[in-house]
Amino acid sequence: MKKYVLLLAICSSISIYSQSSTKAEKTKGRLFGGLESNSQWYLNDVEREINHPDQPIRSNNYLLINYNYGKWTAGIQGESYAPKSLLNFNPKYEKTNLSTYYLNYKSDKIDVTAGYFYEQFGSGLLLRSWEDRSLGINNSIRGGKIVLRPTENLSLTGLYGNQRTGFDVGKGIIYGFNSDINLSGIFEMEKSDISVGFSYVGREEKTTMENPNFKELTNSFSGRFNFSHQAFYFNSEYNYKSEDAILYPITISNTFVKPGSALLTNFGYTKKGVGLDVTLRRIENMNFLSERNPEVFSPEQTSLAFNDRMMNFVPSLTKQHHSNLANIYVFQAQKSVSIVSDNGIAKAGEIGGQIDFFYEFKKGSSLGGKYGTKIAVNASNWFNLKGDYTLFPPDYNTDFFASGKKYFSDYNLEITKKFNPDLQGSVVIINQYYDHQLIAASLNIQVNSFIIAPEISYKITPTKSIKIAVEHMWANSDRKNWAALMVEYTNNINWSFYVSDMYNYGFDKNSNLIDDVSDHFKIHFYNLGTAYTKGSTRIALSYGRQRGGLVCAGGICRFVPPSSGIGLSLTKSF
Amino acid sequence: MKKSLLILFTLLNFIVYSQNQLPNVKLKNLKGELVNSNLDFQKKDVIYVYSFWATWCAPCVQELDAISEVYGDWKQKINIEIIAVSVDDSRTEKRVKPMVNGKGWEYTVLLDTNQEFKRSLSIANVPYTVVVKNNIIVYVQNSHSPGGESEFFDKLKSL
Repeated sequence: MKKYVLLLAICSSISIYSQSSTKAEKTKGRLFGGLESNSQWYLNDVEREINHPDQPIRSNNYLLINYNYGKWTAGIQGESYAPKSLLNFNPKYEKTNLSTYYLNYKSDKIDVTAGYFYEQFGSGLLLRSWEDRSLGINNSIRGGKIVLRPTENLSLTGLYGNQRTGFDVGKGIIYGFNSDINLSGIFEMEKSDISVGFSYVGREEKTTMENPNFKELTNSFSGRFNFSHQAFYFNSEYNYKSEDAILYPITISNTFVKPGSALLTNFGYTKKGVGLDVTLRRIENMNFLSERNPEVFSPEQTSLAFNDRMMNFVPSLTKQHHSNLANIYVFQAQKSVSIVSDNGIAKAGEIGGQIDFFYEFKKGSSLGGKYGTKIAVNASNWFNLKGDYTLFPPDYNTDFFASGKKYFSDYNLEITKKFNPDLQGSVVIINQYYDHQLIAASLNIQVNSFIIAPEISYKITPTKSIKIAVEHMWANSDRKNWAALMVEYTNNINWSFYVSDMYNYGFDKNSNLIDDVSDHFKIHFYNLGTAYTKGSTRIALSYGRQRGGLVCAGGICRFVPPSSGIGLSLTKSF
Repeated sequence: MKKSLLILFTLLNFIVYSQNQLPNVKLKNLKGELVNSNLDFQKKDVIYVYSFWATWCAPCVQELDAISEVYGDWKQKINIEIIAVSVDDSRTEKRVKPMVNGKGWEYTVLLDTNQEFKRSLSIANVPYTVVVKNNIIVYVQNSHSPGGESEFFDKLKSL
């Protein structure tokens, strides 16, 4: 109750400030922030044999308030998970509390923050702290950060702190240093761009282990190089993490101590109408947590499932499809070592690559037609690291440039075409291979799927439009066939409505299924909803069924249990 | 539960538009140069349209594609510059440059890789459009309606 009063007090003080905001220009003081609320009313679903949880109405709420005066900015974020957080969020998100706060001074050459801050070094393979509310990730660091930019071409960052977990911070201390140097600027090169960067990230955590075979301070280093010349570009970075104890399976082992590394190379060629991009990556033992041992919430659940105290960001480098069916068998980057003696799974990372090709057939050409035609081709392949693996005692020795068994592949083509000013269409064709046994270290199921997804959008009047998307997936195992339909009607910039259904059929409920518990019948996952937007406000209401499985953003995923119910979300910035 | 809802709604009633200036954040452009999100876009009477998008966001890409078709005409009629702010993180960031070129977009593109700019504006979802003129935020649009370009252009002309 005290917290509500506190929150109310904060709110009322803001409202006073913001009402005088028209005068703010004179004083240069400025109040800004945002509000986000995601609520769900879970219902019983007799057909699915789902009973709603003990608290059927649940809500995640976030309020961020910042105040800026000249070069100074301060902010606080409050979060409320009341009466409980949405299903399967980190159990440490409980009740209502102040979650982050900061004070920042920023000028052209110096940027200093005390309190909670977000930061990413390079591509984030050693350090990334960020917030993703849909995944329940907020791994901001509480401490201090300073960024110096003595010249246009040099940027230096130093930081220190502990990582946020729930409404608290973890025990591990993080030290970081980063530099970005723009060589082409320093040497006044006009035709090419060359830059380099170096990072150091240290994580120090006391251990209770007697005679540990690893140091309490784990050091990691990264060097990167970016080059571009006219239409051609090339970037590469190498990351190394010093020897540290590995989780086996969910607690660290004093006899399983190894270093980690990551190599990322990207190059391409791009000019108007054409783009070609190639990314290659090798990851070995790059699970990097600010506390070595995850927190155990129940025998089946640890903080690892909630991406808690994760220091780095190892995204899966595959195309992020907007097709619903293409997100059923979704790849998660294999950054960790996993040796499971029960089923013989042994993996130490991943190696593979992704190619993207974009091309526009010109207007007036035979394939371009009157309005032009755009194509996008994408292919990705990811494999286990080849090497010698020992199940017991756990050990491995990998080859550097060699691939083992395939985890996942995705080959896809997307064609977009405008037929006339009011009618536009696209079609996506996707082939995916997903080895569930190897990726999830679980049941021996491999899925090969083929998806076709055409879509048209038609402008009825200048403001009203309708979009119809149809999808079908044929899969050779697990839940086999899926058909999906989505119809979206936009009345104007403020109002839109949608109905959708995903129908799963043709599978044998006695066969090996990835989810061997829920929804073992031909099932419709229907949904309908509406959204109202005005200015920065958006209110969305939906009703329907949620398939159990992974919800992913940026290649990081959260498992959501099967559910049915009503959802209400509200966002507003001010 | 009821109390927190009550608080939220009370709050909503109180809050009026107070963020009338764009925060200044240093972001890289496609050449790797650091650009100031606010300070480098302050020419008098130019309408700056900041369009937040991502390579994986279908409505965003559709919107930018549609505006791209008419961008030349718009530029002849009003003093406008579109800044396409990509919120792609390092998973998809490398696809931005080939996609922008592959689609033949002629926008200024900024990379908000760790979403500092997006967070400073409390943007929850993309597409999200912020229009700035003479250093004041004059219009915000938080969705995309297919074919809404002409309506949007009328709005811009009235600013």
